Amino acid sequence: MSEAIEKTTLIGKSITKPDAPDKSNGRTRYINDMVLPRMLIGKIKRSDRAHAKVLSIDTSKAAAVPGIQAIVTADDTPMVGVGVTKDNPPLKKDIVLSMRDELVAVAGETEEAVDKALALIEIEYEDLPAIFDPAEALEEGAHQMHDDKPGNLSLGYQTVHGDIKQAEKDSDHVLDEVYDVHYVTHVCMGPGCVIADFDTHGKLTMYTQTQYPYNYKMDLAPSLGMHPGDIRVIQPPVGGAFGSKLDVYPFEPIAVFLAKKTRRPVKVIFSREEEFSASPTRQPARFHIRAGVKNDGTLTFRDVDALLNNGSHTSWGATTPFVMMRTFTGHFRVPDVEFRSRAAYTNMPYAGSFRGYGNVQATYVTATVMDKLAEAVNMDPISFRLMNAQKAGEITPQNSKLEECLLGECIETVAEKTNFLEQYNAFKAEQDSPGRYKKGIGIATSFHNAGGAKIHKSDGCGTVIMLDDYARATVITGASEIGQGIDAVLTQIVAEELGIPTENITLVNNDSAIGPWDVGVHASRTTFIAGNSAKRAARKARDQILDAAAQRSNVAADDLDLRGGSVVQNDNGVPVMKIDSLLRKMHFAGEDAELVITHDYYEPPSEPEGDNHVGDISAAYSHGAYVAEVTVDTWTGVVKLNKMTAVQDVGRVVNKLGIEGQMEGGIAFGIGYGLTEEMIIEGGEIKNPNFRDYKVMTAPEAPELEFHFIENDDPDGPFGAKGIAELPTIIPAPAIANAVYNAIGIRFNNPPLTPEKVARAIVDKQAAKVAAE
Amino acid sequence: MMIEYENYVAATSVAEATKTLAEGNATVVAGGTDLMVQTAASGRGANTTLLNIRRISDLRGVALDGGRVTIGALTTITDLLTDGVVADAASILADTANRFASNQIRNMATVGGNICNASPAGDMIIPLLVLDADVELSAWRDGAVTTRAVALNEFFTGPGKCVKTEDELLTSISFNRPAEGFVGQFGKTGPRPALEISMVSVGVGGIVDNGGLTNARVVYGAVAPTPIRAAKTEAALEGLSLNEASIQSVLDVADSEVNPISDVRASDWYRRHLVRVMTQEVLQNVANG
Ligand SMILES: Cc1cc2nc3c(=O)[nH]c(=O)nc-3n(C[C@H](O)[C@H](O)[C@H](O)COP(=O)(O)OP(=O)(O)OC[C@H]3O[C@@H](n4cnc5c(N)ncnc54)[C@H](O)[C@@H]3O)c2cc1C
Repeated sequence: MSEAIEKTTLIGKSITKPDAPDKSNGRTRYINDMVLPRMLIGKIKRSDRAHAKVLSIDTSKAAAVPGIQAIVTADDTPMVGVGVTKDNPPLKKDIVLSMRDELVAVAGETEEAVDKALALIEIEYEDLPAIFDPAEALEEGAHQMHDDKPGNLSLGYQTVHGDIKQAEKDSDHVLDEVYDVHYVTHVCMGPGCVIADFDTHGKLTMYTQTQYPYNYKMDLAPSLGMHPGDIRVIQPPVGGAFGSKLDVYPFEPIAVFLAKKTRRPVKVIFSREEEFSASPTRQPARFHIRAGVKNDGTLTFRDVDALLNNGSHTSWGATTPFVMMRTFTGHFRVPDVEFRSRAAYTNMPYAGSFRGYGNVQATYVTATVMDKLAEAVNMDPISFRLMNAQKAGEITPQNSKLEECLLGECIETVAEKTNFLEQYNAFKAEQDSPGRYKKGIGIATSFHNAGGAKIHKSDGCGTVIMLDDYARATVITGASEIGQGIDAVLTQIVAEELGIPTENITLVNNDSAIGPWDVGVHASRTTFIAGNSAKRAARKARDQILDAAAQRSNVAADDLDLRGGSVVQNDNGVPVMKIDSLLRKMHFAGEDAELVITHDYYEPPSEPEGDNHVGDISAAYSHGAYVAEVTVDTWTGVVKLNKMTAVQDVGRVVNKLGIEGQMEGGIAFGIGYGLTEEMIIEGGEIKNPNFRDYKVMTAPEAPELEFHFIENDDPDGPFGAKGIAELPTIIPAPAIANAVYNAIGIRFNNPPLTPEKVARAIVDKQAAKVAAE
Repeated sequence: MMIEYENYVAATSVAEATKTLAEGNATVVAGGTDLMVQTAASGRGANTTLLNIRRISDLRGVALDGGRVTIGALTTITDLLTDGVVADAASILADTANRFASNQIRNMATVGGNICNASPAGDMIIPLLVLDADVELSAWRDGAVTTRAVALNEFFTGPGKCVKTEDELLTSISFNRPAEGFVGQFGKTGPRPALEISMVSVGVGGIVDNGGLTNARVVYGAVAPTPIRAAKTEAALEGLSLNEASIQSVLDVADSEVNPISDVRASDWYRRHLVRVMTQEVLQNVANG
């Protein structure tokens, strides 16, 4: 017999994403590059008023442009809304509620012809009073935006635990502050794009960027007056999504209306300006927080009022309090907590889901409030947090079960790795001494679901695995690949179970007619949920193979293992037979013939929220503690982030390269949120819809990054892994804000900390000091 | 927005290019880093003919002749970073190039394009004003190429506007090699170290003498409709021995001389603030040698 094969593992190794080579050498054909035969280009004429009556729309000149094949308005559509509360008809009639509102759509042979036609559409408006501030929208007598939404109220949330009145009496210090967090957007490299194509039976194929292909059909169908079963969803490669493709947005049904009218495939693709102005934003909010502490450092209560600018229509942004409240109630041990939120309709853009989902906003508040409370009781930022950190086995007021709580370990590790307290004290002592450049160090921590989130009836994912005669595996998963790297992780997991090389695995996950159901890419769930499903399906295939091998050898299945393409004896690694020849024997066995085709549907052991938003909604939770080190130029106000040290509880690293990529990308989002990114919106109009004036981080200012992954297998995670995707976006901004405070003694309750904002605060502080003297 | 040009001309000589311009309705493209962005966004620059001048090889490069430095209009920002004459005679140009855009843009962007775009925030204009540069404009008139020289200081008339007429091509920029003891400093601010349109830019130059500057030049970008030479600030600086107090007095003059606006990039307050701190920075650098 041939030589023994040692047991090795792929888990924790760095695996290159299968799509990476094509993406880096320009071979990938993104949806934006796709051309179907006879395909037309569709474009949208939007409102140029924030709030107005539409008196007339004249498309006669546009229709006369050579090459124009169809023009549609609301009159040609069922007028059924899309979006989370279905309040957003794809084409608007009579009234426009924001600058992005869709009024007319045109399809033509070329982009030039369609541009010409759009410019010739004449629309008459009568302006109505516009409201941009959510507080104003809630005032009595404010203009009503939607007939069925009295008082301009969109969604509201409330959760109440304990007695905050009593807790306040028991507090030695109470902090009472208001925060305003801003608008940012996803800035996907590939702008919004969809192609709609009907066959002669009236069945629709959607080529889309969606990150939730199965429920997408259900959400899209009513706006088209179609049955969801008649829609097939194809997902070509996309240039980023980050949550922005988790809902149906008007341009998608609009492409369908145009395709239906012309009986030709129609592609709608956003310009970069539209990508800024007509795709969803991150939810902005105003938080009023009151938080108490005892002199000994014990947290007593938190009371939070959140006012959300809903914008003109409702997408996932208005539901982000669902995640915000878990942080306000459950991050650190706070016995008595209340959280209330209201989202108010205004004539502003609307927010969608965005990596971090409300927790980026909530953690900006909690992490800076923790710093302020520590100072109020004269404790250092580390001991104060450690003293209030939950321990394993504790349960939060909303019933998140912290079975493996590693918050304390994260804090201790990051403090030690950065020599935190020594640096902190030294910088603090330097705050008021002369000198242009001031250094600072700051810590922030976070708490997030890392085992999915049961917000839908199922949080599950299905997988089908097929092995061919050559021991090549096809893995069909419901999980979408939107750049996050699930293709690599699933390949790795299946290869690990089946003892075959990763390059012998083909992943299929881009066609709703082939793949089994999955709820979608969100909630940092895919490695955990799709990973478990793939692992379980692979385990079934493995069992089938081992049983067959046992029948064909003298060794019991339990004593066999799959390694390096062979069935081997578990104890000594001696090969018994090749997997591929075994598979052929199984296949060509006459009446006993069998193929190895397995499937699995995994539903995580989490529970939906009940009354008062109580429920263990995720199968796992993760904590992180990050430290930012900054230099503030006190003259220009420029904050330079020198280093970010991140300690994250990850359960177990599956793909090392993948997790590091997620950390780097997520931190870049977080830095942009904290320092430079901001949509400037005046009168409902976005004033910086371009990369020149909307400042995303670029390579030269990327800080030094240091990662420490705390690995402590999650009992339910695949190979012990927890989710990661959103987690690194959550902490950087408040860590930076706390570091800036350490450097210059100024707090900012309104990110981003732009040079102008910082410079102004420094000048004001100096002026106040002079005035006091 | 898509723009359709009817004609495309890739000229290989100044004569061919100026003849095309004389026929009218032509837009010049050099590196295209301003033009392509502007036409895509707003249709600005749209015309019947697109005139590519990048194949006129005579217009690229830096020469030193008889004490005068001449920079061809098609010299790229990257060229300035690597050119020996620039390093030796006018390193402020290389310092500025080093703060300009990104490597990719620097490879395409030309000095002539930066000037003709006439942005109040155009970076290369600042050091060229410090160096008292002239521009050479060429046109096809009466059957031949004719040229005229215009002081850069008199070239700009407003945002995106200059005295160059539609039939003129900017062919070169020239200035006297600065005298012994000249120092020039450029400063620029934005939240990012690269790919940043200046919120404010500042250029200071002069001959170091006795802890101060003679023949002082002070130039600001993005604080007025055009890049400006700050004459009063120059006068205040002339021969002044630089120390903390005297620098403050110069800053007060500078503050009175600029008239910035508020826009999406910065408020007028912040631009004024930057004028002060950035001028302070370059003057301190001069004072400290
Ligand atoms: C990402 C990015 C970053 C940038 N960063 C900076 C920066 O940091 N600093 C900065 O100053 N600018 C910056 N710019 C703007 C631009 O790159 C510069 O202004 C550049 O120098 C323009 O040169 P060009 O050759 O590309 O000009 P083009 O775009 O080819 O032309 C600009 C204008 O000048 C005209 N023109 C060009 N050459 C001539 C000529 N010889 N005679 C007559 N007319 C002419 C054209 O018709 C056009 O109107 C940036 C641009 C981009 C896209």
